[in-house]
Amino acid sequence: MTFYQSEIQRIKNSCYANTTQIQKVIATRNYIEEHFDKPLNLDRLSNVGFISKYHLLRLFKRYYGQTPMQYLIDKRLEKSKKHLKNGMSISETCYLVGFESPSSFSTLFKKKTGSKPSAFQKKQFSQSRSITDF
Amino acid sequence: MKVKVLSIPVLDQAKALTFYTEILGFVKKVDVPLSEDSRWLTVVSKEEQDGPEILLEPSPKHFEPAKTYQKSLFEAGIPYTQFNVENAQEEYHRLSNLGVAFSIKPTEMGTVKIAVFDDTCGNNIQLVEML
Repeated sequence: MTFYQSEIQRIKNSCYANTTQIQKVIATRNYIEEHFDKPLNLDRLSNVGFISKYHLLRLFKRYYGQTPMQYLIDKRLEKSKKHLKNGMSISETCYLVGFESPSSFSTLFKKKTGSKPSAFQKKQFSQSRSITDF
Repeated sequence: MKVKVLSIPVLDQAKALTFYTEILGFVKKVDVPLSEDSRWLTVVSKEEQDGPEILLEPSPKHFEPAKTYQKSLFEAGIPYTQFNVENAQEEYHRLSNLGVAFSIKPTEMGTVKIAVFDDTCGNNIQLVEML
């Protein structure tokens, strides 16, 4: 057995022994994956998982390293990038991935990616055009 | 600051390019000759070609401490780098069928499933599927 294999076994036994907790947070993540475009908040997620919201928050952060809402935002932004690359309008993209206002979507998008959705889309088009031109 | 290029030390760049493109499915992005036997050679994920580039860096060939470090990590089974996949089990089957050797078969570790393979260039690479 290599050093890494023994470390994996040790970490598995010490950090991931509580399979009930792990199944709860995995189910929450799966719910976010399937319903990211719907209005989601901690209350909704805790009701779906039959778990108190503070407990869910603590467990999700412990096992995924971020809060459910941070995870949801990242998921929505990842999806929005795909739609923008495919030429969808900014407002249509915003609502389709579950954000409620184009201005807050735009601000969040810039904060997380470094560009506004319009600039991101423009860059994608210019890149694909230069490849086609070539 | 932005993360644009990450390095993977390789003993043989030509062999590494073949493995990372033909076996793993990455795409060559930049290939600039630097000297008779070394290139600035990067690959990117096929699904994320504007994402971070991996520099297949021949440091173990030219810099003895890099070679020693790489060898020690390899012998301890420690993966230097990890790649995310949609399905670790499927990727394990696909790569195994192409002759890739795994030191850790797909294993659940809490909220992820991991597997570790030998990239044939001196490194262990970890696959990660988020559960």
